[in-house]
Amino acid sequence: MSEAIRARAVSVELGGRRVLDDVSFDVGQGEFACLCGPNGGGKTTFLKAALGLLPLMGGTIEVLGTTPQRARRAVGYLPQAKTFHTGFPARVVDVLLAQRAGAWPLRVRGEERETARAALARVGGERLLDEPLAGLSGGELQRVFLARALINDPRLLLLDEPTAGVDARGRGEFLDLLAGIAARHELAAVLVTHNAGAVRRLAERVVYLDGRRLAWGPPSDVLEREWGEGGAFSGRDHEAGPQCEDE
Amino acid sequence: MAEIVDVLFGPLGQGFVRRALAAGTALGAVGALLGVFIVQRGLGLLSDGLAHATFGGLALGLLLGTSADGAMWVALPFTVAVALGIQLVRRRSGLGADVATGVFFAVSFAAGILFLGLRSSRSAPVNVEGLLFGSLLAVSPEALALILAVALLTVAVLAAIGRHLAYATFDPELAALSGVPVAGLEYTLLALTALVVVVGVKTVGVVLVSAFIVIPAATANLIGRTVLGIAGLAVALGVAGTAVGLFASYHLNAATGATIILTLGACFFAALVLRRR
Repeated sequence: MSEAIRARAVSVELGGRRVLDDVSFDVGQGEFACLCGPNGGGKTTFLKAALGLLPLMGGTIEVLGTTPQRARRAVGYLPQAKTFHTGFPARVVDVLLAQRAGAWPLRVRGEERETARAALARVGGERLLDEPLAGLSGGELQRVFLARALINDPRLLLLDEPTAGVDARGRGEFLDLLAGIAARHELAAVLVTHNAGAVRRLAERVVYLDGRRLAWGPPSDVLEREWGEGGAFSGRDHEAGPQCEDE
Repeated sequence: MAEIVDVLFGPLGQGFVRRALAAGTALGAVGALLGVFIVQRGLGLLSDGLAHATFGGLALGLLLGTSADGAMWVALPFTVAVALGIQLVRRRSGLGADVATGVFFAVSFAAGILFLGLRSSRSAPVNVEGLLFGSLLAVSPEALALILAVALLTVAVLAAIGRHLAYATFDPELAALSGVPVAGLEYTLLALTALVVVVGVKTVGVVLVSAFIVIPAATANLIGRTVLGIAGLAVALGVAGTAVGLFASYHLNAATGATIILTLGACFFAALVLRRR
C-alpha cells in the first residue's frame, strides 16, 4: 500500500522567497505525524502544497499514491486561518453539507441533515447543528471545522494549528478528540503544532521543518536527540529550535 | 375601491407604461439576484464602476457612428471587457476590488468624454443627460426585448452556478479544495453584472443603475438568514420597489428612475431600523 504522504526533494517559493527547499519525508497509512518548526519554517506551506494549492518549484508530493489534486476528495483539511466571509448567512449544517456536496446547500433535506448531525456527533458538537457560524466561539468553530474535515470519511487529515487561539479548556478537549482519532488508526493525520504536549501525546512521528533543514522520526528522537548534544540542532536553544513549546 | 384601483393602475392602459413596468421589474429582479453575490463579496462599488464604464462604451459606439440605441451593442462588449479587466488586475496584482474598480471607472469615464469630443461636428447631438440619468418611460420594444433576454440569460446562468458561486463566496479556498472553479465563477459573475448594468443604463442611467443591484440585496441581507431566503427577499424587494416607484413617479409627475431608487432606499432604511429593534 502507498504512503499517505510521500514528499521527495520538495521546493516551494512564495513571493520570490524559497520557503521549502529540498524537503523529503513520508507519512504512513494510519500514522499520526506532527509537523513542528519555527514560524515561517514552511509548515503551512507544506500542507498547502500537499493539497495542491501551491505549485512546486521542484520535487514531488504524492498523496495517497496520486497527485495532491486527485487525492483532494480523500483528504480532510482544517485550516489555520479561517478565511470564510463572516457576514455570509452560514449555519453549521450548511458548512458541513457544502463540504459534502462541493456546493452550497440551498435547501437541507432530512437525510442530509442527519449526515451533518452524525459528523458533528463525532466531535461532540451536535447541539451546534443549526447555529450561525459567525456566533461560535473559537473552540466551537474548531469542532465544526474538524467535523467538516471528517464528513467525507477522509483517508488523510491535515490539521494546521487547530488549537491556536483556543482557550486552555477548549484546547484540552480538542486534543482529546484528536487522541481518539489517532488511537483508531483509521486514517493518517498530519498536525501542525507548536504544542509539545500535543506532540508527546499524539505523534507517532515528528517532522521538523525550518525551510531547508529537516529532522524526522519518533517524538523521543526528534524532541530530544536532535536538540541534544551532537544532534542536528545542537547548540540552538529550545526557543530557536523545535518550536514545540508547551502552551 | 374600484375607482382607486382605476386611478392607481390606469396608467397600465398605455403601452409605454407597460413596457416600463416590464423592463423595470425585470431589471429589479435580476439586479437583486446578482446583488446577493455582489454585496456578500463586498463589491458594491463594482456595479457603479461598470455603469461609468458603460458610458465609455456608449460614447465609443457614438464615435463609431452608431445610433444612440445601436451604441448599446458597442457598450455591451466594452463593459464586459472592463469587468473582466478589473477581475484580472485584482487577481494578478493583489490590489483590492475598490482600487481596481476605481482605476477602470475613471479611465473608462474619461475615455467616454474624449470619445464624445472626438465626434464630428456634423454628428447628431448627444443627449448626455439621457445617458447619465436614463429614461425608463422611453424604453422601446426592441430595448425591452434586449432587457428581457439579458434577464433570462442571467437567471439561467445563476440557476446553473448559484450553489457553487455561493460556496465560493463563503470561502474561496475551501470551495477550491472541493473542486469549485472559483476564478471562472468570479469572471462569470462580473460578466453577468456588466451585461445587466449596460441594459440597465438605458432605463435608469449611469448614475443610478448600480442601485438596482446593491440596494435590494443589501436590504435583504439585513433581514434574511439563509442564502435562499436572502435571494427571494431581494428579488421581491427589487420587483415591488420598482413597481411602486414607477407608479408613484407617474402620479407625482416625478423623475421615474430617481423615484424608484428612493423607494428602494426607503425599504433599506426601514429594514435597518426594524433590524435594530
